[in-house]
Amino acid sequence: MKTALYNLHKELGATFTNFMGYEMPLKYTSIQEEHLNVRNKVGIFDVSHMGNIFIKGDAEKFISKITVENASKIKSGMGQYTLILDYDGNIIDDEVFLHIGDEYLFIPNAGMHEKIHKWMEKNLEGNIEIKDVSDEYSILAIQGPLSMEALQEILRIDLAKLKLFECCELKKEDFKIEFDGRCILSRTGYTGERGYELYIYPKENAINIFEELLERGKKYGIMPIGIGARDTLRLEKCFMLACNEFKGGRNPIEAGLEWTIDWNHDFIGKEALIEFKKKENYEKLVFLKCLEAGIPRQDDEVIKNGEKIGNVTSGNFSPCLKTGIAMAYVNNKYAKEGEELYIKGRKMIKAIIVKPPFVKRGEC
Amino acid sequence: MEIRENLLYTKSHEWVEKLNGKAKIGITDYAQDNLTDIVYVELPEIGKEFKRGEVIATLESVKSVAEVYAPFTGKIVAVNEKLNDEPSLINSSPYDDGWIVEMEIRNEEELEELLSAEEYKKLIE
Repeated sequence: MKTALYNLHKELGATFTNFMGYEMPLKYTSIQEEHLNVRNKVGIFDVSHMGNIFIKGDAEKFISKITVENASKIKSGMGQYTLILDYDGNIIDDEVFLHIGDEYLFIPNAGMHEKIHKWMEKNLEGNIEIKDVSDEYSILAIQGPLSMEALQEILRIDLAKLKLFECCELKKEDFKIEFDGRCILSRTGYTGERGYELYIYPKENAINIFEELLERGKKYGIMPIGIGARDTLRLEKCFMLACNEFKGGRNPIEAGLEWTIDWNHDFIGKEALIEFKKKENYEKLVFLKCLEAGIPRQDDEVIKNGEKIGNVTSGNFSPCLKTGIAMAYVNNKYAKEGEELYIKGRKMIKAIIVKPPFVKRGEC
Repeated sequence: MEIRENLLYTKSHEWVEKLNGKAKIGITDYAQDNLTDIVYVELPEIGKEFKRGEVIATLESVKSVAEVYAPFTGKIVAVNEKLNDEPSLINSSPYDDGWIVEMEIRNEEELEELLSAEEYKKLIE
C-alpha cells in the first residue's frame, strides 16, 4: 500500500522500505543525519501507515472497558497513551486516543486498524458508533525542539498554549495556508522531543501541508524524516514498537507498562493480570546498552553465565550515544539495573542493563 | 547512483580498481545507499590470504549487516585504517576515501570474469 504522499517522497529522493504492508520512506538523506536533525532542530514525518478509528456516542464506558484507562478522566481536548488487552491480559496494541469534542479518535499502530476495529465491534457495548477511516486520513508528525516554531508558520492558533497530550480541531481559518477539510492537531509523538501530530482529511490535503512545512520551516532547519530514523529515535527513548515488543503475546507487567493501568475500574484482561501478578518467575523487558562495538538485532539471544536468559526484541545503533542499544525480555531475576550480560548475534557483545531512557532530553 | 567507467564490478556489489599487480576494493554507491549509514567496519589483517568469494570485511549499518567478498584470490596488502574511526566514509565517498582493502592479485585471469561498468549498470537496474 502507498500513502497519499508517496509521489512527494519520491520527488524528495526517498529510499523506500516495506513496513507492515506500506511502502514507506526509509530515509531521504541518511538515517543518522535525520535522527540528529529531529533531536536538535525539527523534522516532518509521514505516519499515515497508522490507523484512524472514530468512536461516537456513549463511548466513555466502552473505552474504559476495552483499554486499561478510565476514560472518564480524559476530558474533551485531551489525549492519552493506553493499551488494549485481550482476555488473557496480553497487549493487542498500544496507542494514543484523543477526546475531541464529543468524539474519540483512536490511532492504532501500522497494520493494526482492522484487528482493533473488529475487536471493538466484538466487545461493543452501549449506543455507540465505530468508524474505521484509516484509508481516508493522512497523519503527519512534526517533531523536534523547534517543532512549535516550524508548525506555527502555517497556523494562526497560539501553539504555545497547547500542552502535552492536548488536542484540538483546526478550522479553515486557523490555517495561514489554504486548507479545506478536516484537521485534528495533538501535541503527541514518538520521538521523545516536543512534537505535534496532524490527522488530515481528505488524505490528499496532507501533500500541501507537508510541502508548505518544508518550505516555511527552512529557517528552522526542517527536514523530511524516514521511518529508519523514526525507529532509532523511539528506541533511544525506550518507546515500544508493537510488532516487536508485544510480538507473541506480552502483558503490561512483562512490558513494564503497568503505569498505564488504572486498577480502580474494570477492563478486559484485568482478572488475568491480577492472576499473573502472583507469579514469581516471568520475563521482563529490560534496556541494554552495549559496552563493546556491535549492533544488537531483533531475536539475538541474551546470555548470562553461558546460559540463554532471553531474547532481543529491538536493537540498533544509537546515533546520539554512538553505541549499540537494545530492548530484550529476560528472566525477571536478572532484570536489575547494572546487571552485565552478553548479547549473542553475529558475535558476542557485552552489555549492561540501564534505566530508561537511553537518551534524556537535551542529551544529544 | 554513480557507476564509474574505469572500474570492474562484482554481482555482490564490490568495485575493483586494477593497479599494478594489485587492486583496490570497495563497495559501490548502490550498495552503500542500500545499506544505509555504516557504523562499524571489521577489516582483515594485512598479509592474510583469501580465496575468491571469501568474506574479507564486515560492514554493519543502522539497517543491517553486509559482508564484503574477495572479488579474486589474493593477499591483503593494505587496509583503509581511516574506516575504524570514520566508517561513514564508505557512505560519503564509496569510490575514493571509502575504499576498504588493497589486495595482491594471484591470478590475473580471474579478473576477466568481473563485470564492466556497463554490465554492472544493467544488473542494478
